[in-house]
Amino acid sequence: MKIRSLGYLFKEGVKNIWSNRTMSIASVGVLVSCLLLTGAAVVFSYNINSAMKTIEGNNSVRIYMTQDLPTLSAIKVGEEIKKLDNIKTCEFVPKDEAIQQYMKILGDKNGTMLQGMTGKDNPLPDAFKVSFKDLSKYKDTAAQIKKIPGVATINDYSDVAAKLTRLDKVVTMAGFWIILLLSLVSLFIISNTIRVTMFSRRVEISIMKSVGATNGFIRVPFIVEGIIIGMLSGALSSFLLFLIYDKMVGSITSITLFSPVDISPMAGKILLAFMLAGTLFGAVGGVISISKYLKKEGGEIVGW
Amino acid sequence: MIEFQNVSKIYSNGTRALKDVSLKVDKGEFVFIVGSSGAGKSTFLKLIMCEERPNSGEIIVNGRELSTLKKREVPFIRRTMGIVFQDFRLIDTMTVFENVAFAMHIVGASNKEIRKRVPYILGLVNLQNKAKCHPAELSGGEQQRVGLARALVNNPKLIIADEPTGNIDPALSFEIVDLLNEINRRGTTILMVTHEHTLVKHFHKRVVEIHDGTIVADTASQKEEERHED
Ligand SMILES: Nc1ncnc2c1ncn2[C@@H]1O[C@H](COP(=O)(O)OP(=O)(O)OP(=O)(O)O)[C@@H](O)[C@H]1O
Ligand SMILES: [Mg+2]
Repeated sequence: MKIRSLGYLFKEGVKNIWSNRTMSIASVGVLVSCLLLTGAAVVFSYNINSAMKTIEGNNSVRIYMTQDLPTLSAIKVGEEIKKLDNIKTCEFVPKDEAIQQYMKILGDKNGTMLQGMTGKDNPLPDAFKVSFKDLSKYKDTAAQIKKIPGVATINDYSDVAAKLTRLDKVVTMAGFWIILLLSLVSLFIISNTIRVTMFSRRVEISIMKSVGATNGFIRVPFIVEGIIIGMLSGALSSFLLFLIYDKMVGSITSITLFSPVDISPMAGKILLAFMLAGTLFGAVGGVISISKYLKKEGGEIVGW
Repeated sequence: MIEFQNVSKIYSNGTRALKDVSLKVDKGEFVFIVGSSGAGKSTFLKLIMCEERPNSGEIIVNGRELSTLKKREVPFIRRTMGIVFQDFRLIDTMTVFENVAFAMHIVGASNKEIRKRVPYILGLVNLQNKAKCHPAELSGGEQQRVGLARALVNNPKLIIADEPTGNIDPALSFEIVDLLNEINRRGTTILMVTHEHTLVKHFHKRVVEIHDGTIVADTASQKEEERHED
């Protein structure tokens, strides 16, 4: 194959996308859904990781007093806690302050929602925000704190961290299976779509072979076609991912305390990864779709 | 140029299409292949173009023993032949021009050469006005001539034509064989399958008759002097 054939073969590939538009559209659809779900899994796991980092970074634990413990006694408990070895900081969080924080988080500026929960009717107990010198000794220290009279519960963030780790594993696993399943499904759909539209192209391939075209020559337009479809799908799915994520981030931040990661700095990387994945899928798909016919000769291909 | 040594071809369904065929065609010959339908004429040609492989015997084309040919070499030996197929084999998503140009693209011709050569060849087969048509918009005879144009466009040393005038009126058939004759005069070897006895009679060429898979008659190839007379 000569270099100057490439121009011609490239044009043929582009033309084929249009002449086989049903298949082209179907392939783009399949690829986009596959890439989108993959992207969703990756972004989700990324969020969980970042949430875990925030928690680990805080390295702080809340210790709640029993409900009716007078503030003075609570402060005494605080003194007890500070005496323990493993305590780095110990900060008193009065219940009034805590309820105010909640109001702020919930966006209840006027305090209408939690009105009547301030002062004596405050349902929250007093608490201490404690950080440890050595987190690995957490269990012992927690046990010592629990023994102090007046301590009700310890809000165990490491438990949350463990849960998140587990969730992340589940998501990774689920993501893996989803991607695997989707790849199989998309391969199935693609090969079926190809099978349906392949008849005319099968004739075309056998004719090309019978007038002396090499397999490489026949393959190039198919690869070009696959690559273009793949790049198109990559661009489309990254665009959709950003759009959907943006919408979801908007609604998630307004209902929960959790703040999702801003993925816009990764936009370039995601686009690139999607385009590459799409290109690879497309090219491989293009090669696979014709390899069956390239192996055969003339009549065998169409049954002349 | 072409040599068959005790070639037999049995299709996978058991049909014995060729039985122990031996034949030699020299460079520059013009051979008519005749015989009733199903006699094995197309099979004979398909063996030459490596579309089918013989079950036994040897086929030598251009000094090359075809059974030693590797799969990836097949396209290159096909390019040395201009082939007119009985079933036309035109690509229907391509125009007449593109179909003929395709054969040139395969061998890596430049766009400039293609733009010059294709219209010239289409003119030879009287299709200059149909260049932009798709095969589906053409009559059978016109499609057949596109196939002929494609076979001629690369100036092959060997032309294999399976009933190239099968769908063409007698006057045009004569014109086409005249064209092939002219090409043959310039040194190209031609194998042409035909059912038209008037053609065979009019052009005094070597005639090979196949019947039921065997060669039953083979006139000697015409002498140089006789060729100049017609
Ligand atoms: N691909 C095939 N598989 C099985 N049998 C075949 C195949 N091609 C041809 N045949 C059989 O081989 C025999 C010779 O066929 P061939 O096509 O060579 O005949 P032909 O001389 O070209 O006939 P026609 O003049 O009708 O074109 C026939 O009996 C045909 O049915
Ligand atoms: Mg035939």
